Amino acid sequence: MTRSGWEVETGDDPPVEDGKRALAYRADDGALALYNDYERFRSIVRTPKAPGAGGVRPAPVPGAHALAEAAEVAGYGTFTFPYGPISAGVPEAGKFEVRTYGERVLGLVPVGGFKSRSVPASVVGLPVADAGLRVERIAGNLSASHVSAFLAAVESAEGRPVPTAELYVRALAQELQRLYNHVRQIARVAEAAAQNVGLAQMHALGEEILRLQGSVFGHRWMFGALLPGGPTRRVEPADRDRIEHALGRIEAEFGALWSLLLESRTFVDRLQSTAPLSKESAISSGAVGPTLRASGVGWDDRLRAPTPPYTDLFVSLPNETAGDALARILVRGAEIQASLVILEQLFDRWPAEESITEAPESPLGPGRGIARVEAPNGDLVYDVTVADGRIRRLQFRSPSTANWPAFALSMQDAVFTDFHFAFESFGLVFAETDG
Amino acid sequence: MTMFGWLGRSATRGILTTRYPDAPPSPAEAPVSAHAPEPPPGVAIAASAVNACPVRAIAPDGVDQCRCIRCARCLAQGFEFSGPVALATAARADRPDGPSATRGAGAPLARLGRSLHVFLVDVGSCNACNLEVLSIAHPQYDASRLGIFFTNSPRHADVLLVVGVPTEAMVEPLRRAYEAIPAPKAVVATGACAIRGGVFEGNAGLRSGVDEIVPVDLYVPGCPPPPVAVLDALLRLIGRERTEAPT
Amino acid sequence: MSAPYLGVLLTAAVVGLFASAPGAVLARRIGYGIALASSLLLLAVAIATLATGPVHGIAWTGPLGDPESLQLDGLSAFFALAASLVWTATSAYSIFYDDRRSPGLAICYGLTLGAIALLVSASSFLLFLIGWEIMTLASYGMILQATGRGDRVFSAAFVFLAFGEASTLLVLIAVAAFHVLSGGFLEGPVSGAGALTSLVFVAALLGFGLKMGVAPFHLSEWLPIAHSSAPSNASAVLSSTLTLAGAYGLFRVVSDLGSPPAWWGGLMLAIGAISVLLGALFASVSEHTKGLPAYSTIENNGLILVALGVALLAEANGLTELAVFALFAAFFQAIAHAVAKTALFLSAGYVEHATGTFDLSAVAGGAKRSDPGETAGTLAAALSLAAAPPLAGFVSEWMILESLFQSYRFSSPEAQFLGLLAGAAVALAAGLIVVAMVKFVGFALLWKPSPGATAPRAAGLGTTVGVVGGILVGLGVGAPWILTGIAPGVSAFAHAAVAVPVGGLLAVPDGWSIVSGSPFGILSPPVVPIAIGIASVVAWGYFRLGGGRRTRTVEPWMAGSPPGRPGETYTSFGYSTGIRIMLRSILRTREVRASVGPVTEAGLATPVPYNVDLEVLDVFKLFYDDLVAATAAVSDAFKVAIMPGRLGRYLAYILLVTLAVVVYVAVAA
Ligand code: SF4
Ligand code: SF4
Repeated sequence: MTRSGWEVETGDDPPVEDGKRALAYRADDGALALYNDYERFRSIVRTPKAPGAGGVRPAPVPGAHALAEAAEVAGYGTFTFPYGPISAGVPEAGKFEVRTYGERVLGLVPVGGFKSRSVPASVVGLPVADAGLRVERIAGNLSASHVSAFLAAVESAEGRPVPTAELYVRALAQELQRLYNHVRQIARVAEAAAQNVGLAQMHALGEEILRLQGSVFGHRWMFGALLPGGPTRRVEPADRDRIEHALGRIEAEFGALWSLLLESRTFVDRLQSTAPLSKESAISSGAVGPTLRASGVGWDDRLRAPTPPYTDLFVSLPNETAGDALARILVRGAEIQASLVILEQLFDRWPAEESITEAPESPLGPGRGIARVEAPNGDLVYDVTVADGRIRRLQFRSPSTANWPAFALSMQDAVFTDFHFAFESFGLVFAETDG
Repeated sequence: MTMFGWLGRSATRGILTTRYPDAPPSPAEAPVSAHAPEPPPGVAIAASAVNACPVRAIAPDGVDQCRCIRCARCLAQGFEFSGPVALATAARADRPDGPSATRGAGAPLARLGRSLHVFLVDVGSCNACNLEVLSIAHPQYDASRLGIFFTNSPRHADVLLVVGVPTEAMVEPLRRAYEAIPAPKAVVATGACAIRGGVFEGNAGLRSGVDEIVPVDLYVPGCPPPPVAVLDALLRLIGRERTEAPT
Repeated sequence: MSAPYLGVLLTAAVVGLFASAPGAVLARRIGYGIALASSLLLLAVAIATLATGPVHGIAWTGPLGDPESLQLDGLSAFFALAASLVWTATSAYSIFYDDRRSPGLAICYGLTLGAIALLVSASSFLLFLIGWEIMTLASYGMILQATGRGDRVFSAAFVFLAFGEASTLLVLIAVAAFHVLSGGFLEGPVSGAGALTSLVFVAALLGFGLKMGVAPFHLSEWLPIAHSSAPSNASAVLSSTLTLAGAYGLFRVVSDLGSPPAWWGGLMLAIGAISVLLGALFASVSEHTKGLPAYSTIENNGLILVALGVALLAEANGLTELAVFALFAAFFQAIAHAVAKTALFLSAGYVEHATGTFDLSAVAGGAKRSDPGETAGTLAAALSLAAAPPLAGFVSEWMILESLFQSYRFSSPEAQFLGLLAGAAVALAAGLIVVAMVKFVGFALLWKPSPGATAPRAAGLGTTVGVVGGILVGLGVGAPWILTGIAPGVSAFAHAAVAVPVGGLLAVPDGWSIVSGSPFGILSPPVVPIAIGIASVVAWGYFRLGGGRRTRTVEPWMAGSPPGRPGETYTSFGYSTGIRIMLRSILRTREVRASVGPVTEAGLATPVPYNVDLEVLDVFKLFYDDLVAATAAVSDAFKVAIMPGRLGRYLAYILLVTLAVVVYVAVAA
């Protein structure tokens, strides 16, 4: 039995509206000191600034709000180019307001809220498992991370110990999903660079991972698989062998595709020095995940603030310093390889106990818990208050939310045609931003 | 010599593409969650099963494909994932006389012949539906062999494929996209969310389905529907879907 | 020889144009009315001259003892025709346009027209020069009537005058040298390629090129028009007919020089090609409703030089057929440009009346459409300048490119190579000018009325523009017959009868096509619109009768966002920023940022509001700025060294100068 998250001093449950309060963890991991340093910057929820002075700014769309600030720009011929909410290159509902005098991006404001399904509000009062159904559907391609963080927060709030094997299953699900997301992100960048063969083969690899997930967890997106009261999925030894075998193939396939892609000069040239983000800007804008690591800051929750089973594993930390689109993609490629190593270690150390997720007979005590996991696109934090087995309050800070300002910053002074390379290299998801 | 490298890769991979719709989908292409769980044949639906479903997809007289989010919760009630891929339907079971009921019959775009251009619009999805829909263009499904293409502009589209539950902010954009598509056109609501809100049904600021805003021709159940279900829906629009008894 | 009464009418027309100036003192509209009537008269005389032969007015004896008269031969009749066509339109337009209190503009307008008419119909260079000077001074007066900041108006007018006087100086040199050569004024052709002949040629090329606004003197064209925002009727006259006067002078001198060496044509071709490229480039990034047409003038006059250059090169290479074809191209280009440019400037005036601004990005963004005449006329003019069929500009551009394509026939590889480069420049410029014209049409025709500006009250403004547009269509469609009509002009230039390059091919009747080479290329301007017309009728009939399809109006698709919200529409500036960035090394693109407002929050990367300007620079302006500075410095030094107020130095200076003159005269004699 293991702890999966951190307990929080509950006290009188302060109302959270801006997240500006530094999260106080009761954990004695030395790395947290470092984290808390960054936390000052990261947990800032950027309250949208009403567009105002300087040039004609378009009236805001009802229900939508800015996800990052951009400088107000005025000047002869400048205007705002609205891109979205149904934009060709971004397969999600979201909008970008590009301030420009044509061609060059003087400022870019990502606008969110088009996909807001009010999940945090809607789960209040629901049993944990029912809330989990909604949490995993905040962002389907990041479901394992969201559910793992959510469950860890609930468990630490309730003070519930978790079977180690279950944590292994969660780690397995998360790492598989990391593989899928990174492969897809690389394919999207290859698509922007018109590397058509490469993108088709990367997508084929992605589909293979989805099928693997489907065969192991009974759902291609692993919905329901990790939740208490969900299908009783164990990852049996036979399953594990099958996965290991499949992973071996994926490793070989990815390795070959990856080196071919990096040999392509057009691909590399197009990404190099596109949408650069300096280390300072990465830190001050509150970037997380591969974005942060590509700018030379070696923070990864799995390494710096690990929870089991990552505490027991060797986690390598791919790091780049250039901070451009190429660096972000290189980090992702290296992370695919690192994840394969992690998965190997998981199977080597797989605990003997059953990984059963039976709903407990009676809920444990009320409380508030915070948990964080390293989602494919960065640090994901859940803060959940539970009482009587039901959610009293839920809030989360998604990696995308944290990364929008960095994205906006990196697009400063870029040209229009950089957009897709930049956007795909950041791995931003409107679904989890809007919640 | 990257060029030859790619060629070599492609050659060694062989053919990945499904034979659907000429052959039934393989097990890998039709995951268990492709069809809502159902009680074993001859077994009546118990009240406990009705209560177990988090989205009230189970009624004493059957399971509503369109509503089910494939959470597998009812497996504990003896239900089984057994059916084939859930196919697109022209009418919502819960609203047989709804706004779209009259549009459903036949293959609305049959006269377009062999080619179909699809405009994908997300109005509030979790992303899984988007990605499943987009994956019909990937090598394993290769929709282009069936004359199905994605287009980046509604002006070139024949089909408006909607995913996600419509949020207030997306009502107008969705309507604009529909208006921008030249006739003849068809609308496909893909996924439980698009049909009637899925797991988010009843949340603040959401419409209860795409057909509240634009007339829908086909509903594709699933959360998310697998790629073959999406292919089936699009083929239905031009009357080329797989029939169980091939001639 | 034509009827003698035509000479009287010619004199009447020129006098009438001058008389419109005092007429304007009575009332502006009387002045413009007289100008309109006289222009029509001149137009009639010019047409009659082309049809029947040279016209001579009453002769008198000039101050130097030579007989002088007003007269038109084929060459001058052609230019009189083009100019009077323009003036008819601008005079009619001015009646509605000019709402100033003072008659200053109308007076200068009349004087300018009269002066140009005088110099075109002058029988001697002396008379020509008199017309030339009056023209320069009167145009200077028109520019001074400009709106805008006083210092800018004054400096722009001053630049115009400075360039004008430099031009006069060069023309004087050319005339003097010519006089030495021929002992007369208009007697040509003078043959022989001596140094003096070349001096005449170079001085004339530079002097008249200055007036045409070709590189590197193109500042003289755009600056007075754009910087001072000169009145639109004035701009049209300056850009269409002042440059036409320059072209006339050049044609006249070149015509009288005879047997040109190859390098003349090469030089002319090079200057023309550079002007074409520069003009098109700057037009495509111009944001001024009059600066854009002014730059386009530079391009078009460059094209005239290119065509004339090819003609000279061809003649030097003994390719008479090509030379004649290129000459026809040059002539047609001159008239096509003059008419199209008039419509564009008059259109700019209409927009100015409606919106009160000259900035394209500020003009655009509304949904207000101009009236039908204005819309159609502007469209025709812009299409013609963008060389779209079946308009006049298309025909001339095609003819010029056809001439350039045949540069492979030149004997020297240098000439071939030059022809190739010029062809590339012209083709590239043709692309750039499309950007410029799309911009003008797209942004100037959908304007937003400004609260302070007066709406165009008189329908006459738009109607005039529409009529000019109609003339352009006529010139384009009827090009084969127009070419036949202006053939006497080309003959007069060549001092020999020329064959008109028209013919027929396949089903196209003889005389309906323009043929280059024998035959190298063929084009039938009337068949193009006929084919388009038939296709349109068939398509219309198919959809109307066959399908019964309905038209559905939908709003533009803007990625799901509501279209056309204020502040969210593409500006004309944005439309051409791509060019600004891509060609930044030529355009000297520079971004100037200035932060405005305070830094709101310390620490985090809080964006600071700023103001941005993306500037482009005409490098030649830098050159002239340096030249001015250097000149000022030299005269300053001169002042200090020679004229410090000491009588001794003054006397020494005068003595030295006198001695130098005496020595020179003695040696020369
Ligand atoms: S939603 Fe879940 S419980 Fe309801 S029918 Fe579908 S799988 Fe069963
Ligand atoms: S139907 Fe399911 S998979 Fe599709 S968007 Fe809704 S929640 Fe996501």
